[in-house]
Amino acid sequence: MSELTFEDVTVRYGSGRREMTAVDRVHLTVPSGAVVGLVGESGSGKSTLARAAVGLTPVAGGRILLDGRPLPRGGRRPLQMVFQDPYSSLDPRMTIGSSIAEAIPRGAVPGAAARRDEVARLLDLVDLPADRAGCHPAELSGGQRQRVALARALAGRPDVVIADEITSALDVSIQGTVLNLVRDLHRELRLSMLFITHDLAVVRYVSDYIAVMYLGRIVEYGPAESVLADPRHPYTGELLAAARRGGPQAADTVPASVADAEPADPHHPPTGCRFHPRCPVGPLVHPDRTVCRDTAPTGDGRPHRAACHFVSSAADPAAA
Amino acid sequence: MTSRARWAGVLRTPVGAAAAVLLGAVLLLAVLAPLLWGGRADEVDTAHILAPASAEHWAGTDNLGRDIFFRVLVATRTSVRLALLATAVGVAVGLLLGTLPLLLGPRLGRLVTAAVNIAVAFPGLLLALSFAVIFGAGASGAVPAIGLAIAPAFARLTQTLAASVAGRDFVAAARIAGVGRVRVLLRHVLPNIAEPLLVNATMAAGGSLLAFAGLSFLGLGVQAPDYDWGRLLGEGLNGIYLNPAAALVPGVAVVLAGLAFNLVGEAAAKAVGPRTATAGGRKRATDDARPTPTPTPTPTTAVPVRPQQSAQADALLIVEDLKVSFGPVTPVRGVGFTLGRGEAVGIVGESGSGKSLTALAVAQLIERPGRIEARRLELLGDDLLRTPPRARPRLLGTSLAMVFQDPMTSFNPVQRVGRQLAEVAEQHLGHRRGPALARAVDRLRAVRIPGAARRARQFPHEFSGGMRQRAMIGMGLMGEPKLIIADEPTTALDVTVQRQVLALLADVRAADDVAVLLISHDLGVVEQVCDRVLVMYAGRIVEDLPVARLRDGARHPYTRALLGAVPDLATDRDQPLVVIPGRPADPAAPTPGCAFAPRCPLADDHCKRADPALIEDGSGGRVACWHAEQRPEPAPAAATEGEGR
Ligand SMILES: Nc1ncnc2c1ncn2[C@@H]1O[C@H](COP(=O)(O)OP(=O)(O)O)[C@@H](O)[C@H]1O
Ligand code: SF4
Ligand code: SF4
Ligand SMILES: [Mg+2]
Repeated sequence: MSELTFEDVTVRYGSGRREMTAVDRVHLTVPSGAVVGLVGESGSGKSTLARAAVGLTPVAGGRILLDGRPLPRGGRRPLQMVFQDPYSSLDPRMTIGSSIAEAIPRGAVPGAAARRDEVARLLDLVDLPADRAGCHPAELSGGQRQRVALARALAGRPDVVIADEITSALDVSIQGTVLNLVRDLHRELRLSMLFITHDLAVVRYVSDYIAVMYLGRIVEYGPAESVLADPRHPYTGELLAAARRGGPQAADTVPASVADAEPADPHHPPTGCRFHPRCPVGPLVHPDRTVCRDTAPTGDGRPHRAACHFVSSAADPAAA
Repeated sequence: MTSRARWAGVLRTPVGAAAAVLLGAVLLLAVLAPLLWGGRADEVDTAHILAPASAEHWAGTDNLGRDIFFRVLVATRTSVRLALLATAVGVAVGLLLGTLPLLLGPRLGRLVTAAVNIAVAFPGLLLALSFAVIFGAGASGAVPAIGLAIAPAFARLTQTLAASVAGRDFVAAARIAGVGRVRVLLRHVLPNIAEPLLVNATMAAGGSLLAFAGLSFLGLGVQAPDYDWGRLLGEGLNGIYLNPAAALVPGVAVVLAGLAFNLVGEAAAKAVGPRTATAGGRKRATDDARPTPTPTPTPTTAVPVRPQQSAQADALLIVEDLKVSFGPVTPVRGVGFTLGRGEAVGIVGESGSGKSLTALAVAQLIERPGRIEARRLELLGDDLLRTPPRARPRLLGTSLAMVFQDPMTSFNPVQRVGRQLAEVAEQHLGHRRGPALARAVDRLRAVRIPGAARRARQFPHEFSGGMRQRAMIGMGLMGEPKLIIADEPTTALDVTVQRQVLALLADVRAADDVAVLLISHDLGVVEQVCDRVLVMYAGRIVEDLPVARLRDGARHPYTRALLGAVPDLATDRDQPLVVIPGRPADPAAPTPGCAFAPRCPLADDHCKRADPALIEDGSGGRVACWHAEQRPEPAPAAATEGEGR
């Protein structure tokens, strides 16, 4: 059990004129033993943030802390990650047993027999029979592979697990199994988790806290119920509207200019509030709200915060 | 397919087999020839100096009277050995240079990559020649010279292959697990690129055989008294007018041996090439990962599919007992439904259930070797089964429009979007160029593309995903479609963009009274657009019901399980999600009874024996289940065993 903190983290890709900021001064905390759901559209920087946390992508600024201390380099890896595509995250040439065994820290389980037992224990943890250890990934279904990937992540005895879109590549009838497993594991092992997805309904099902990301910035963060019941950022409101299944969509309630706006180009992010060209309560609709174009809003630091100059009006237009 | 099976497959192609036999013969000769004929090849016979070919000396003799034919046979060893040695040097250096970027990290790695790229730009033979001059004449100079000439190309291949494997998630996972760079290289990267490298090394061996012959011919390679094919060729050429065979025989030997290496390499490349590690694996695994039982061509008993009589009068599309088969496998096994004018119907089901094939069959887009059979297949009163193939494209451009999941693949990447839309009008409606383009812009505007006139002049890649999908719909609207078939049109899009596209589909439908057949794995999407849902499982419709009744009136156990398996914003967070145990049905191995029986909580012996027919339930729906009246116990925990147990 550990607390993972992103402090003012910035990640850039490319250099010179092709440079782009994929993650822009992000503050985010995954409290000890909690599941934080990170939602946002593709390209908003969710995976980049995850890859920065596990050291796959260098950070250009800020710090990533575990229990207040910088992450150790080398030795035991307290952060583990599960990837979106189970067809690419397991080495096709290796048995799943050796893939899992490889992730067991050297010193932790000495001896070949003990390592075999540990692999069997991990497979059991993810509801797979131990005799599957000799299988190659091609012999397993997508859902089974994803469970192997989970077992491999757990082999490192992590304090924090990052799950990046782990159900999006799976058939609907199988997603439920993996989500159930994630919840069970979280309860059993009291893991801290950063659970990344673009699906608000999925995030709602597994998370204690929800963080919403838009174009490299966290625009809203708070306890799950609070964010879902009272979304303060207009973008969260849009995500919620889109996720409400059933019944015709309320697309007509937003002005056409906003409804058909294109997603912004991450290489040329809009000035000020990055959401302003699409915001249903922003300068396109209220021409006097020029501040949205000029100044980037920041959160106010409360437990449920939103990065918007007109937070209250977004939730309740009458209060404006 | 295991790698051994794949390499064995190489031998079964005629070219592969011939090349392998040839290569085997060359290698055998290399080992045996000096032992068997070493003496005869060195036998000096001053009585027959420079004799032409004869029955005694098949290729004549050289200036010491030695038999040239046997010398060529014996020279096989030197030629092949030196060629392999040079290849080994080249491969070793190439591997080192190729994997260095991975070991050194991005910054230093870029330097190595740049150096290799420069080296690749030099012609190989030129490199070999200059190295040979630098290292000095003789085999010990020629081997590293040719090796170093091969190395850059091999290094570049290794780099590209290694970089693509290193970018895969399993390498990232290994690094997160604390596996060091060298171990990642040895355990994960090299095994996954070994096959193409081996193939390439084989071809390189053929090349260095030729190169070596060239150097020896020029006097830079093997020196007297040793001899290889190149030297024999050089000597033979001196007396070519007296005895052409003396030059011909070593020449043929070089060509044959070089060909043997190259052909084996090429045949192997064909067998190894197309199998990119994921593409092959994915298809197999979704359907069934375990060795598939041999498909039995069981003719499925024709289940009476009763189409809805009510809608027949103003039916736009009538499908009765539609079957789509590929050889012995029949992924669509008797689908029947009707679609009224302006009606929106959704088809849901998991991957492999036959949704897309049903749609493609309606659009007449099933390609060989696929086969369509149906009792009835009518669109706008036209019998599609009897439409001559030549009239079909007209249908697609005019009264029927099709929208696919990934619009990028449906557009021509090098043609402007407006032009592509206009072409539809030119081809199918007989418009001329100007009016066609005007209509294209108008249609782009109709699908709410901002700045339509400007956008029409752009290329597909300049559009965002959502905009491409709208343009695709716009292309469908170039004619005056009565039916739009949309196959997972929003799956690749973000939720907010998805909403825009679905709203657009709804608008189009309302404005022009166009019917929509929407295929999706997402019940939520179907609910937003459609009046009616068809639930497909294992190539059949198992339930057909109004969208309004989906949430609380679904009667088929599969439909109910689908609804429970995906969380929505009202799902109880304290309950586990409903899980459908087992695997999706395998179209190659149909079961005699209800296809859902192996995964169904209500299945009994009757279900396993007899396939339930799709029958009307009297309230506008249809269901195919023996126990449609029964509700399963609300105990999803019992089913949490999950798939694959
Ligand atoms: N290796 C890379 N090089 C350059 N740009 C990248 C790379 N990976 C991601 N990006 C860009 O960074 C942005 C954030 O991407 P990503 O973190 O993958 O978002 P998400 O996971 O939310 O979909 C996107 O605009 C994406 O195109
Ligand atoms: S700051 Fe302005 S533009 Fe940005 S979300 Fe708030 S109201 Fe909209
Ligand atoms: S027929 Fe039997 S096995 Fe098939 S769905 Fe109905 S209850 Fe289940
Ligand atoms: Mg991502």
